Amino acid sequence: MSSEQEIHDTVSTQEARMGDGVDNRFNSKLREAFGSSPFILTKFDKFMNWVRGSSMFMLQFGIACCSIEMIHTYAIKHDLDRFGAGVPRASPRQADVIIVPGTIVSKFAPRMKRVYDQMPEPKFVVGMGSCTISGGPFQEGYNVIKGAEEVIPVDIHVPGCPPRPEALIYGIAKLQERVANGETSPVTVKPYELEQFGDLERDELVQHLADEIDEDDLVMRYNWANSP
Amino acid sequence: MIPAQTQTPLPDIIGDLLGFGTEMGPGETFIASFIGAALVGTLMLTMTALAGPWAKRKITAAFTDRYAVNRIGPAGLLIIVADAVRLLSKELIVPEGVDRPAWDLAPIVIASSALLGFAVIPMGNGIHLADPEAGLVYVFAVASIASVGLVMAGYASNNKFSMLGGLRAVAQNLAYEIPLVLIAASVVLFAGSLQMSEIVAAQTETLVSLGGVAIPSWYVFVNPFAFVLFMVANLMEVGRNPFDIPEAPTEIVAGYQTEYSSAYFVLIYLGEFIHIFLGGAIIATLFLGGPAGPVLPGILWFIIKIWAVFLFTQWARSALPRLRIDQLIEVGWKGMLVLALANLVLTAVIVGVIA
Amino acid sequence: MSLEEPKPTDVGETPDGNVDYAELEALLGDAVIGREEHVNAPAFVVRPDEVQQALGALREEAGFDYCSCVTAQEYEDRYESIYHLKKYDDPTQEVGVVVPTTRDEPVSQSGEAVYRTADWHEREAYDLVGIEYADHPDLRRILLPETWQGHPLGKDYNPEKPQVVPFREHANPLEPDQRGEGSESDTMFINIGPHHPATHGVLHVETVLDGEQIADVEPDIGYLHRCEEQMCQQSTYRHQIMPYPDRWDYVSAGILNEWAYARAAEDMADIEVPEYAQVIRTMSAELCRIASHMLALGTFALDVFGDFTAVFQYAFRDREVVQDILEDLTGQRLMFNYLRLGGVAWDIPEPREEFFEKVRDFLDGLPKKTQEYHNLITSNEIFQLRCVNTGELPPEVAKQYGATGPVARGSGVDIDLRRDDPYGYYEELDWDVITEDGCDNYSRVLVRMREVEESAKIIEQCVDLLEEWPEEERTIQANVPRTLKPDPDTEIYRGVEAAKGELGIYMRSDGTDKPARFKIRSPCFCNLHTLREMTEGEYIPDLIASLGSLDIVLGEVDR
Repeated sequence: MSSEQEIHDTVSTQEARMGDGVDNRFNSKLREAFGSSPFILTKFDKFMNWVRGSSMFMLQFGIACCSIEMIHTYAIKHDLDRFGAGVPRASPRQADVIIVPGTIVSKFAPRMKRVYDQMPEPKFVVGMGSCTISGGPFQEGYNVIKGAEEVIPVDIHVPGCPPRPEALIYGIAKLQERVANGETSPVTVKPYELEQFGDLERDELVQHLADEIDEDDLVMRYNWANSP
Repeated sequence: MIPAQTQTPLPDIIGDLLGFGTEMGPGETFIASFIGAALVGTLMLTMTALAGPWAKRKITAAFTDRYAVNRIGPAGLLIIVADAVRLLSKELIVPEGVDRPAWDLAPIVIASSALLGFAVIPMGNGIHLADPEAGLVYVFAVASIASVGLVMAGYASNNKFSMLGGLRAVAQNLAYEIPLVLIAASVVLFAGSLQMSEIVAAQTETLVSLGGVAIPSWYVFVNPFAFVLFMVANLMEVGRNPFDIPEAPTEIVAGYQTEYSSAYFVLIYLGEFIHIFLGGAIIATLFLGGPAGPVLPGILWFIIKIWAVFLFTQWARSALPRLRIDQLIEVGWKGMLVLALANLVLTAVIVGVIA
Repeated sequence: MSLEEPKPTDVGETPDGNVDYAELEALLGDAVIGREEHVNAPAFVVRPDEVQQALGALREEAGFDYCSCVTAQEYEDRYESIYHLKKYDDPTQEVGVVVPTTRDEPVSQSGEAVYRTADWHEREAYDLVGIEYADHPDLRRILLPETWQGHPLGKDYNPEKPQVVPFREHANPLEPDQRGEGSESDTMFINIGPHHPATHGVLHVETVLDGEQIADVEPDIGYLHRCEEQMCQQSTYRHQIMPYPDRWDYVSAGILNEWAYARAAEDMADIEVPEYAQVIRTMSAELCRIASHMLALGTFALDVFGDFTAVFQYAFRDREVVQDILEDLTGQRLMFNYLRLGGVAWDIPEPREEFFEKVRDFLDGLPKKTQEYHNLITSNEIFQLRCVNTGELPPEVAKQYGATGPVARGSGVDIDLRRDDPYGYYEELDWDVITEDGCDNYSRVLVRMREVEESAKIIEQCVDLLEEWPEEERTIQANVPRTLKPDPDTEIYRGVEAAKGELGIYMRSDGTDKPARFKIRSPCFCNLHTLREMTEGEYIPDLIASLGSLDIVLGEVDR
C-alpha cells in the first residue's frame, strides 16, 4: 500500500519516539482484521485525526519566563480554551500536549524527559520561545541545554522571547491543523537519553563518578562539545 | 399515554408497552427492568457527557469572563464528541507496581456506584426504576461505595500523591457521611417513610397560599435549615470546592486519580459528575419536591433541579477557597454533626408535638 | 546613656547615623589585615580563620543585623568571599567583610553560625566558584547537579567537558532516626516538584511527611540555573547586559530589575541620570510592581482556591491592562529592555495625552478592583481560616535569613530601600511603606495588596509631574561614553527595592568593557530559604500556601 510507503519515507514525531518495529498502535487489531486500509478505516482515521486536532488537554507545566505568557494565553483576554485546548491537567497521565515554556538546564532535562515519558500516546510537544529552539539568550551558558529537541521531539516551535500570547495561540492552532490533517512533523531528536550509568562508556569522567553513582541509576550524559 | 404523576415504577410500564401483561414472570421482569435501567443510565450518562467536557467549561468561563470552547460545532458542542473519543483512544498506561485487580476495579466502582443510586430516584413521568421501602437508605449506601473506590484507586496506584488522596477521601467520607444521613433522617421524620415515592408524595400538599400562588410543602420551605446543611454536606460528598480535598490539584497533583489515563480516567471523571448529579437528585427528591413543578413535565423539572444543584457546585468551585484537611474534619465532626443532630432532635420534637 | 539621645547608637555609629569605620576597625582588632574601599562602603579584609569572630562582633556589637549578600570570586592569585553587611534599621549603613584565601587551599571559616542566610550563599559560592567553608553545616552543591565536575565561575573551568547528571530517588533524610529496632519509619518522603502544579516553576521541595504534617522540608533549587552571572560577565556594560535583568524576575518586574543593574553601573561609572528620566523610571517601575503583585495575588489564589478560578483570572485580567500600558511605553509585554545607563530608551509615546489618559483610566479603576479582591479573597472566611496564623515567620527569624520585601514587611520588619536608601524620584513623592505584624501568610498577601495601592499613588504623582514637565527639559538620557570602561578594580554593591525585596548587584571592573565579576543578590533566593522555618509542623496545604505567599520566581532564585 502506497500510504504505508509514504509514512516510512519521513520519520514522524510519533515514530521517532516509539522507535522502529512498533506498528501503528492505534486500531492495529482492526487493521489486521481488515487487511490493508479499507474505506471505513480511512474515514475512521480522518475522524480520529479530527478528534485529536479538536480537543487537547494541556499539561500544567511552567518552566521560565514564557510560562507567564503561557498563563496569559489561558487567561481571560486570550482564552486558549476557545480552541478546545485550555484545560490544564496537573498529572501528565491525563495530558495530550506539553508546552515547553522556557530554558531547560542540565538538572531539569532528565526530569522533563521523565514527565514527557509519563504522558500517554498520542502526545504532542509545543516548544515555546527561543530557549526551546536553541537555548536562546542563554545559549552560551555552561548549564543550558541548547534547545528542547536535544531531549524530547518537538512538533511546533513558537519563536520569540517570549512569544506573545497571540503567537502561542497561532502555534497551537497550527498544531491542531496539522494533527487534523494527519500531517506529522519530521523531527531530529538529538540523543540526550536517560540511560543506566552502567551502560555508559567508561571514560575518564565515568570512572571518576563511579563511587558516587550506582550502576543502575539513570543518568543523562551531556556532551557539551557536540552541542551547536 | 403515560399519566404525568404515576407511582408505577418504570419496568411495569415497559412491561405494559411490550405486552407482557400485569403479572410478569422473572424473565420478563428482567427484560423490562434491563430496558428501564438502560434508559435511565443513558439519560444520566448523556447529562454527564454534556456536563463534563462542555457545561463545566462554559460555566467556569462565565464566572471568569471568558468564552471557553466555541470553535468546534455550534457553541463548541462538538467538543463533547472530540473529548470523549480522544480520551478513550489515548494510550492506557499501567504504571509499574500497581496493585492490578484493585487498580482496574477502582474506576468501575467509582462510576457505577453513583449510577446505581438512580435506581430508586423518582424522576417524574413514571421514570422510576424501583421503589423499595428503604429507598433512601439504599441511595446513601450505594453512594458511599464510591469512597471505597477512591481508597482503592489511592492505594493501588503505587503513587504517594494518590495514596494521600485516598487517605484524605476516607477521612472526608467519615466526616460528612454521618451528618448527611442525620439530616436526611429529619426529612424522613417529616415524611414518615423511607420510600422515595412517599417522600415525594408528602411534598405535594400546599404549605401556604401567598396571593393565590400555592407554595407546596417542599421540605426546603418547611425546613430551610436542614436544606442548607444538606447542600453543604452534599458539596463534601461530591468533593467540590471548598471540599475538593481528595483531589486538591495544587497540593497533591490530582489525588487518587493522578496515575489514571485514558479510559480509566474517563470513568473516574464520569463518576465524579454522576456523583454530582446523584447528589442533585437526592436533594431534588428530599427537599425540592422531586419531579413536581408547574407547566413543564415532571422529568424536565427534575432535570432542571439537578442542573441547578450542579450549577451551585460549580459556583462554589469558582468562588471558594479550599479548606485544609484538618479543618474539614473539624467542620464535619464539630460543626456539621452537632448541627445535624440538633436539627434532628428539633424536627423530632416538632413532628412529635404537631402530629 | 545620656538623656538627650533618643536612641542608643551601636558601636561604630556616629550620632548622626553614619558609620565610624575607624571605631569598627578597632572593634575587630587583630582579625583585620587590611581595608578596601568599595564604591558603596569601605570593607575590612579579615583573616580566613577569624570570619565568625569578626562577623559576630559586627552583628552583636555594631548592630549589623542584615547580611544582604555573600559574593565569591576568583582572582589570579587568590579567592575572595565578600560579606555585604547592612542594618535593617538603616540600610545605608554598610560595611563589607572581605575574606581572602589562597588558591592552593581555598578554605575559609563559615559565617553561617552568625547569619543563617550565609548558609545558602556559601553553598552557592562553593558550587560556582569553589571556595570551601570550614564549619559549614551542609556544604553541598546548591544550583548545579551534585555530580557536576568543576566550578563554572572559576578561572580554569572548561565548559566543553562532558557532564553526567543522575536521575535517581532521593533518600528520606529522617529515615535513620526511626525509633525502635526493626520498626519501619512512619514518615513518608515525597517530592513536591520539580514538576508540580504548586511550585510556580521548577522548584523541588523535598518533603518528609508524618501523616499530613510536615516533618522536614528542604527546597532543592537549581532547575532553572541559566548562568545569568556568566552571561552578564561576558557582556558589555553599555548595552549587552541590560536585556538580562528582565529575565531574572520574569514576572513583569523587568524594569525593577533593570534598575538594579542601572543603579549599580551608574554609581560605578559616576553617571548622573536626568530628573525627567528618573520620573519615567519611577513610574514604569511601579507599574511593574503592580503587575508583579497581581501575579503574586493570582497565583496565591490558585494555591489556596485550588483551581484556575475567578480570582486567578481576574488578577490576570488586570495584569493585561498593566502590560498593555507598559507595552505602549517600552514596546514589549514582558522583557522590556527599557532602561539605559544614564536614562531610558525613549520618551513617553506620542500622543502623550493618550498615554496619560490610559494610565489614569487604569488608576481610576484600581480602587474598585482592589475592593473586589478584598471581597473575594481577604474577607473570605475560609481564606482567613487557611491563611491567618499559618506559615509564621517571626521578625527575628526573618532578619536572620536576610528576608526582604513583602516577606519581611509582612513580618513587621520595616525595611524598604525606596525610602531607606532613596534612589530615583521616590524621595520627592508622597507614599508610605506598608508593614503588617501578623507574620503569617495572610499578612504577606495583605502587604502586597496594599502596596499595589501605594504604587498607584506613586504612579499618579509621576503622571502629574510628567504632564507638567516643560517640553524643552525633557532629557531622557545623560551623556554616556559609547564604550564604558570603569577604572580597574572598582567594586560596588548596590541594591534596589524590586518586587520581591532587595535586588542587589555586586560588580567588579577590571578595566575592560565587561565586568570581571557580576553577582546578583536575589531577594527570592533569601526569602525561599525561610521556607523551612515557616512550615515545619504544619500541613501540606500550608506548605503550598506558604510557598505561594513567599512569591518566589525561580528565574531569580536560580539565576
